[in-house]
Amino acid sequence: MALLEVNDLTVKFYTQDGVVTAVNGLDYRVERGEKFGVVGESGAGKSVTALSLMRLIESPGRIESGEILFKGEDLLEMSEEEIRSVRGNEIAMIFQDAQTALNPVYTVGEQVSEAIRHHLDYDDAEARERTIQLLDRVGIPEAETRYSDYPHQFSGGMQQRAVIAMALSCDPGLLICDEPTTALDVTIEAEILDQIEELADDFDAAVQLITHDLGVIAQVCDRVMVMYAGKPVEKAPVEDLYYDPKHPYTVGLMSSIPRVGDSRERLQTIPGTMPDLVELPTGCSFHPRCPYAEEACTRKEPPLLDPETGAEAAASSAEHAAACLEYTGDLRDGLDYEIEVRGQDPRTDVRQVEGDQDD
Amino acid sequence: MRRIYDSEALHRDDDEAFAPSEEERSVRLQALRSIDSTALSDRLIPTGLRRRAISVDVSTPRTEYSEGEPVPFSVTMKNSLPFPVTVSTASPILWTWTVDGEREASRVPLHEPPAEAGRFRFDRGERKEFRKRWEQMFRVSETEWESAAPGEYTIGAGINVEASDGAALYDETVVRVVPE
Repeated sequence: MALLEVNDLTVKFYTQDGVVTAVNGLDYRVERGEKFGVVGESGAGKSVTALSLMRLIESPGRIESGEILFKGEDLLEMSEEEIRSVRGNEIAMIFQDAQTALNPVYTVGEQVSEAIRHHLDYDDAEARERTIQLLDRVGIPEAETRYSDYPHQFSGGMQQRAVIAMALSCDPGLLICDEPTTALDVTIEAEILDQIEELADDFDAAVQLITHDLGVIAQVCDRVMVMYAGKPVEKAPVEDLYYDPKHPYTVGLMSSIPRVGDSRERLQTIPGTMPDLVELPTGCSFHPRCPYAEEACTRKEPPLLDPETGAEAAASSAEHAAACLEYTGDLRDGLDYEIEVRGQDPRTDVRQVEGDQDD
Repeated sequence: MRRIYDSEALHRDDDEAFAPSEEERSVRLQALRSIDSTALSDRLIPTGLRRRAISVDVSTPRTEYSEGEPVPFSVTMKNSLPFPVTVSTASPILWTWTVDGEREASRVPLHEPPAEAGRFRFDRGERKEFRKRWEQMFRVSETEWESAAPGEYTIGAGINVEASDGAALYDETVVRVVPE
């Protein structure tokens, strides 16, 4: 049994402008100890997915259908009391902006120890002790004195570390990281990511990492799901996605990563912007921005397909799947892109790839 | 959850300028005074008057479009009364548009809204404008669309109240799709 299994999740927001379908028929699973990445542009539904897992969607949003099985139990069927005992305890979340995630009028130590007192029934002294250990563990110097500091007395990186300490305080089975490094500079970003990875291994927690940074995904994750306009467009093990992307959107995302030493004058970007989720384009949602779009793309919306066989991919499958009409044989001209792998492809060669320290 | 006033975490000091004082407040804090216009509208304004106060208008820039060309249209709703008005809707979907009676140009139901009423709030004299586009396509199944053949089509929009056609809460306009 997978640790987390999301089946056919649909989240809608009823607004004055119309019904915003933020997440539409999403299926995925995260195994125990696995690091699962969710990537996409702003507005793709990544954060709404994460918030649904914690049942934190607020009005006018509603989880319309689907099930979220965590350790076999449906989180959507739980009472408010039951979900509160799961939230922060078995599923913890690291939010993107630590400054707003922390309460400015509580000391940092108090905020971390509150979770420990609430979920683990520690008394004040024990909770304080454990908090100090945790703050020290996430790399906050002089944890004992820093315990009684307020969030504004911490730097951005330290605030994020405090939030990580809070998330790890109850030894969660699943850690949801919603763009944990967006507000930080790159050097701190690398440190924080290393730390999340290391701590997740130490605490044996599965990680669902949400980001719009493909580099971060490559460094941390085992499997990736690419989202566009509330739907998954590609799911794959991380190496397959990078060395053999199957969806034109993923290809576009890859080509828009700036590279040092690139001689091109302009950066290749994906033209246009994410569509309005109130009024999605007909057919494949990506077709207005897709360089390979044909007439068929405006009339038919492809499900996630196995790129080899063209058969519909099973929700539980961990194999490569992409939602493009190319794999149903509906495209006449096909996808006309070439992938150039510089260095060695780690899938065909077990030797260490230059510059890649993960292998 | 422990609140700030019963937490030891807050440092209180009478002499320190930026720390909260140790004294209890003698006056109770009051929230910003405001009027719940929805509740007032519900209690004071009869439903008939509320519905009559709101007008809906649908318009397209042209009446003739060539085949395959997207048809933009704008839906304007206006509250003619000098005070706020709230209209109760049949579901959280506040208003919808249709092409030849098909909701959002779809032959399959797109949304299954929860069975509860919605609230469409208008400020005094407020004018709301929504811009939409019909791609000259009808959705025929969950995943498939079909082009509209040349001919006349009625684009309508209305607030989602029961039997809105008779009242002023619905409007429609006709466009002609001509072959290229």
